[in-house]
Amino acid sequence: MAGMLTMAKKEFLDIIGEKKFMLIFATLLIVILVSAYQGGLSYSESQSATGSFTFESGQGRGRVGNTTGPVMVFGSAQSLSNSLESMITNFSLVGGVLAIAISFDTINNERQRGSLKTLLSYPIYRDSIVYGKYLGGLLAVTMVSVVSFLGGMGLFISVTGIEMTTDTVLRLAMFFGVSLVYMAIFLAIGLLLSIVLPSPSTSLLASMIVWLSSIQLIPNLGYAIGQILYPVRMTFSQTGEPSFTQQTGFTTLRTIISGLSPSTAYENIVNSLLTTSSLEFTSGTPTVTSISVTTALMSSLPSLLYFVGLLIAIFAAAYVVFMRQEIR
Amino acid sequence: MASVIEIKNLTKKYGDLLAVDHVNYTIEEGEIFGLLGHNGAGKTTTILMLLGLIPPTEGTAIVNGVDVIKEPLQSRRHVGLLPENAGFYENLTARQNLLFYAELADVPDKEASERVEKLIDQVGLDDKRGVKVSAYSRGMRQRLGIAQSLVRDPKVLILDEPTQGIDPEGTQDIRKLIRTLSKDRGMTIIFTTHVLYEVNKLCDRVAIMKNGAIAGIGTIPELRKQVNADEGEDFEQIFLRYQGVV
Repeated sequence: MAGMLTMAKKEFLDIIGEKKFMLIFATLLIVILVSAYQGGLSYSESQSATGSFTFESGQGRGRVGNTTGPVMVFGSAQSLSNSLESMITNFSLVGGVLAIAISFDTINNERQRGSLKTLLSYPIYRDSIVYGKYLGGLLAVTMVSVVSFLGGMGLFISVTGIEMTTDTVLRLAMFFGVSLVYMAIFLAIGLLLSIVLPSPSTSLLASMIVWLSSIQLIPNLGYAIGQILYPVRMTFSQTGEPSFTQQTGFTTLRTIISGLSPSTAYENIVNSLLTTSSLEFTSGTPTVTSISVTTALMSSLPSLLYFVGLLIAIFAAAYVVFMRQEIR
Repeated sequence: MASVIEIKNLTKKYGDLLAVDHVNYTIEEGEIFGLLGHNGAGKTTTILMLLGLIPPTEGTAIVNGVDVIKEPLQSRRHVGLLPENAGFYENLTARQNLLFYAELADVPDKEASERVEKLIDQVGLDDKRGVKVSAYSRGMRQRLGIAQSLVRDPKVLILDEPTQGIDPEGTQDIRKLIRTLSKDRGMTIIFTTHVLYEVNKLCDRVAIMKNGAIAGIGTIPELRKQVNADEGEDFEQIFLRYQGVV
């Protein structure tokens, strides 16, 4: 498409030449390296430690060990997802901010500067501007993701000495892919807001509100709505002892609403993809069951589809609004 | 001389507002054509429709034989635009800005480089070619804007307030450049301005717009005749007569 690659090249060079980009990129890299190192240490400890069984926590994840000595972690806790938990959380926080910082002023800055009319007067399709700018941003976040992942994973592997089986490589590759889609979503959100809102300061504020909603508001809303619709039931035993029961609908509703947030959806998908085994109890005896890549992928498929659908929907909205805007 | 621009019944409505009202005229090759009118008279809307940037409600325009509605991309290959208050990429130098626009216009690399250097000299920015645009004055930006509008070597040049913010010496240079482009290279130039002295000095023909419609069109003597202006009346008074002020 005429002009698209020129626009993409310029956008990419502009982005990587900005101080704000370098600052957030450096922050992301440091955070990822630190969390990968910590994750690596925790993984190594769990592999080398031994101890007697004392079940400590539920929710499908078991942590077993004696209460005083070193803890032996198994079940899903032995999975990559646990070791990389803080890396996943940090990526969802800083990665989202980086994507927003790149895209919040993509179009309204051109308009405010007075260069949009000039651009449009060239023999290029209007699509080329929106596609090119998005592609440039996407290249920048891909570069960030590649560097962060290679750095983080390199450190994790060197600390843990983990064997890089096909299974592990596949899971990590999917982790990388999902992280890229996550950043692409925030990039599209910033792009949409830069088209809809007239000034960069307003679109920055709106983008930050969306980001905060994604990491805090929507997950909390899920919890609150769940509590309202499925309140905790208090029952009394024959001896008069009160007991509290959480209704089953609560967890389902909370999961659905929270999952609407890109950040929660991202964490859910990645956790699911990196979970290599689960802890199950058969007649009171804990058993570790392996989870294949295919099973992990299938279990996260609905969230994954939602995730990709969300990206397409936001970008399509940005595209349609931009194409329909009249230039005056 | 052949017509380079044919405007046929061009109309634009924004809701109930009639921004351009059934406008018809032609502009010849190599002509310097002034488009005048108060703010909101429909000048910019006409220009944007000529570039195919906004669709007309009715009518069309032909630029260098290409219908701007049917083939907007093709028609834009023939037109260079200097918009009012044109902005540039502040983090880039004049040269880098122009090379970017040349790439957008599909100018081959080697040719683009030579053309950009020549244009920078032509608009008098030769000693500032390596300076970032953020350090440019308003006049320097306007000169760069003119260079930008010429980077695709257009057949038609549309200049919206080209001498805005430029000092008298610079204004004279720009006028000289406009004349050269028209007379030596046969470029058709449409320009809008509020500086009526400039119109008097430069334009072969003028169209005066009022409330979206053409109130008068022709050479300055023709316009003078149309409103029965006295010998002593200058062009400013003639313009005001067309606007119904005098």
